[in-house]
Amino acid sequence: MKILVAVKRVLDYNVKARVKADKSGVDLSNVKMSMNPFDEIAVEEALRIKEAGKADEVVVVSIGVSQCQETIRTALAMGADRGILVETDQEIEPLAVAKILKAVAEKESPQLAILGKQAIDDDSNVTGQMLAALMDCAQATFASKVEVGDGKVDVTREIDGGLQTLSLSLPAVITTDLRLNEPRYAKLPNIMKAKKKPLDVIPVADLGVDIAPRLKTLKVEEPPERSAGVMVESVAELVDKLKNEAKVI
Amino acid sequence: MDFQLTEEQTMIYEYGAKLAQTYDRTYWLEQAKEGKYLDEMWLQMGQDGFLGLMVEEKYGGAGLGIFELALLMEGMANAGIATLMLLAGPAMFITPIAKHGTPEQRAFYLPDACAGKTRSAFMITEPDAGTNSMRIKTFAKRDGDGFLLNGSKMFITGADIADHALLVARTTPLDQVTRKTEGFTLFLLDMKSAGIQMTPIEISITAPEKQYMVYFDNVKLGPEHVLGEVDKGFQLLFDSLNPERILIAGMNTGFGRYALDKAVEYANERKIFDAPIGAYQGVQHPLAIAKTEIELASLMMRKAAWMFDQGIDCGGESNMAKYAAAEAAIKAVDAAIQTHGGNGFTKEYGIFDLYPLVRLSRTAPINREVVLSYIGEHVMGLPRSY
Repeated sequence: MKILVAVKRVLDYNVKARVKADKSGVDLSNVKMSMNPFDEIAVEEALRIKEAGKADEVVVVSIGVSQCQETIRTALAMGADRGILVETDQEIEPLAVAKILKAVAEKESPQLAILGKQAIDDDSNVTGQMLAALMDCAQATFASKVEVGDGKVDVTREIDGGLQTLSLSLPAVITTDLRLNEPRYAKLPNIMKAKKKPLDVIPVADLGVDIAPRLKTLKVEEPPERSAGVMVESVAELVDKLKNEAKVI
Repeated sequence: MDFQLTEEQTMIYEYGAKLAQTYDRTYWLEQAKEGKYLDEMWLQMGQDGFLGLMVEEKYGGAGLGIFELALLMEGMANAGIATLMLLAGPAMFITPIAKHGTPEQRAFYLPDACAGKTRSAFMITEPDAGTNSMRIKTFAKRDGDGFLLNGSKMFITGADIADHALLVARTTPLDQVTRKTEGFTLFLLDMKSAGIQMTPIEISITAPEKQYMVYFDNVKLGPEHVLGEVDKGFQLLFDSLNPERILIAGMNTGFGRYALDKAVEYANERKIFDAPIGAYQGVQHPLAIAKTEIELASLMMRKAAWMFDQGIDCGGESNMAKYAAAEAAIKAVDAAIQTHGGNGFTKEYGIFDLYPLVRLSRTAPINREVVLSYIGEHVMGLPRSY
């Protein structure tokens, strides 16, 4: 079985995002970029399935600028087998991402596609769902447990009020939630092996997919600053404020 | 000229941040304050293959250079978790054995040392031979086909947690050699040998490694414990001293960045009047100066490391990097303390805890004045000053 994992290069989660002066977007110049944390979880899960002997190849795909090769290389250093970069300088919206992934999946015919449930930069949380729809296959989102069986995969999902377990027939698309696993970091011998692993770069035009944007960003703003709290002298004062000022009780 | 790290180098540089997700600064400080070493972290680094970073691939290492080892050290220090045992281990024990050891020595020491199962100390300094290593008195007297070791060593980092040590001893007395750099032999010492005693030297530094006086009373050494050739150890030693300066530079630039990151975070949040204190030039400029000097020192460290790996003499650059990094780190931590005001001295913020270790680096493993004398004499052609 082959597993396809999609990884996105995003602003590192430790970096405080700064909005560009013209409010057209987040300033990405000279800031640290890393793999989307949910995608790291996706890579980890694919590797665990492979290590359990239930898959024989993990292929990592990313879409974007040339530097996305670094992100792919990180996944290869974690243990993935090969990488594909669909290269483009254009901004790619989730629908276009799903279409590109579908085009890649048609070439690669994976039995399982694992994606992060969302990217921490735009928090769209739609790509996996769209990909499953375009591929006309089963999907399980927000996975907290994945068990691959014979021709099927059981996925436990975190939903409001509890856990739901779905049984999907393959091929299928899974999106990862935070508690699925703790991703490994690359060990030195694997870092050294990663550079020898194949990484194909495909210009986006070669896939013949319509990637024209459907959305227009009007402006990006910093969230409003939280105002400072107030110290109250007594419980009575607190109750009074909750009742008369905040009007919540 | 290319300043871009390769993908591998980037991953090695970022290893410290990954490691710190499990073993963070709080762990580092807690272990240090309880007088314990970072055992779990060290073992993890070994399991992850980083201790054998400079060992050739045919002996199970990664075959990389001091450049990558310095990136590892700097990356760990960036996250506040660097350890001096990286000097005594990979730089001063593992790599010399890989380079100069016999096949038997490599087979005996390298697998466990690279896996983090054993640790090592480096023993050169003595009560009467600190800066002037020529005056070493610890003597290994020929005894049959082996040696009997007597003497003492001072300020030995991590002697209590080391399984082995690379020890520098005289095998021919100073007055019987034609050149004073002759007559030294490097020994691979088993710390469990009979006749070794040690006592801790209490120092005012928060660090997971302790300092020891180590005494040798007729410690038996065999020919299998000699690294390289008898009486010709000093030449091999030179291989280790520039890497030591380079790694110390990396530790300091990293700790400096760690302090500055904390200071920036604090200065952006803390408000005394209306604006965050980071807006005040009195707060901002010392941080900006320190940042500039840290990055300059880091560049020189990388240059020195690159030269070492290319086989180019890097004595001048290594000394400059060590000088610049120690001074920059002292300034950076000082600026970070001042930025934090009273909080800079609290245990909770842990900023002052950074100071003693970076301040130590102005004095050890080689003091600022000797470094400057080296630069004056060997780089600039000024008269020898001592």
